[in-house]
Amino acid sequence: MKHGRDDGYFELDPGPLIRPFAVTRGRAGRDLHDLDIITLVVAVRPEADVAGLDREYGDILRMCSRQPLSVAEISAKMGLLLAAVKVLVSDLISSGHLIYRSPPPPTSGRPDIKLLQAVLDGVRKL
Amino acid sequence: MVFENSDQSAGSPGLAGVRAVKLLIAGGFGVGKTTLVTAVSEIKPLRTEERLSAIGAGVDDLTGVERKTTTTVALDFGRITINSEVVLYLFGTPGQDRFWFMWKELSVGAIGAVVLVDTRRLGDSFGSIDFFESRQIPFIVAVNCFDGAEVYDEEEVRQALDLDDNVPVQMCDARDRTSSKHVLVRLLEHVMALATAGAAAGRW
Ligand SMILES: Nc1nc2c(ncn2[C@@H]2O[C@H](COP(=O)(O)OP(=O)(O)OP(=O)(O)O)[C@@H](O)[C@H]2O)c(=O)[nH]1
Ligand SMILES: [Mg+2]
Repeated sequence: MKHGRDDGYFELDPGPLIRPFAVTRGRAGRDLHDLDIITLVVAVRPEADVAGLDREYGDILRMCSRQPLSVAEISAKMGLLLAAVKVLVSDLISSGHLIYRSPPPPTSGRPDIKLLQAVLDGVRKL
Repeated sequence: MVFENSDQSAGSPGLAGVRAVKLLIAGGFGVGKTTLVTAVSEIKPLRTEERLSAIGAGVDDLTGVERKTTTTVALDFGRITINSEVVLYLFGTPGQDRFWFMWKELSVGAIGAVVLVDTRRLGDSFGSIDFFESRQIPFIVAVNCFDGAEVYDEEEVRQALDLDDNVPVQMCDARDRTSSKHVLVRLLEHVMALATAGAAAGRW
């Protein structure tokens, strides 16, 4: 993987990616609320509530306070592996700080034509 | 595919109706995937990483025995806010890393995919094409027309890649926003056509 100093797209140092196992203290694998890479989350309680907790929780609540963000965006902004972010986000869902919306399981029915049309219309307007 | 009945999408009542959908931008090493995502994304592309287990991906040099290895696979992605309820994410798969194929979560639920090709290295796209065909994920082929590359027409590309007649082929310049937008529109029209045909045939 190139880390992009040549193309300017990426400024993240790969270093922080080593940290998630420290951050999550081996909790991966617990109930992860079926979180997907594109699960959207938004903060519903102020970050002040987590003043006593680890810095990462506050960071997540701050970045999700205005608009829903995906698990992927949180992972990129924090420089943490997706698996680690899922653990942290799932803690914040359990504690009532975040609400979330995951995509439906692919076995659940027919293609949603209205949704596809909305996406097509939106991209046409770009 | 995306599915009707948002009641089935897990989550909190406060976000009912809010949906995220994803498209994949795949293709060989250096064909312009990140360039295309950058051209249409409303944010500077971000990078996320996941650690995957790849069984048999490594062969121990000393014993010659296959072993389980882990590898970290990165994705670039961009975002297009469609409206107040729908967000579209574009994930560019890493071309130089054959392990993205093992990333099930990535393709599951994808609306569709663009396989970006460079006519100088058409063979680099076979893996992606086979992958989407076998998963029945709707895809189109977009030919990134690098300067100086020999110009092939659509039919020649179609034959060289042994594509089904119904797979759209679109020429593009991944650096150009309008051109890249047209690639996405073409893909979404294709996805729509398949979905409506499926509905008409009573497949669902
Ligand atoms: N001339 C020309 N150059 C292009 C075009 N598209 C991309 N490039 C250049 O080709 C190089 C590779 O483009 P990327 O977008 O990084 O390709 P990629 O598919 O994301 O590469 P990997 O992720 O490394 O597989 C970059 O230097 C781009 O600036 C094009 O249409 N014309
Ligand atoms: Mg790239």
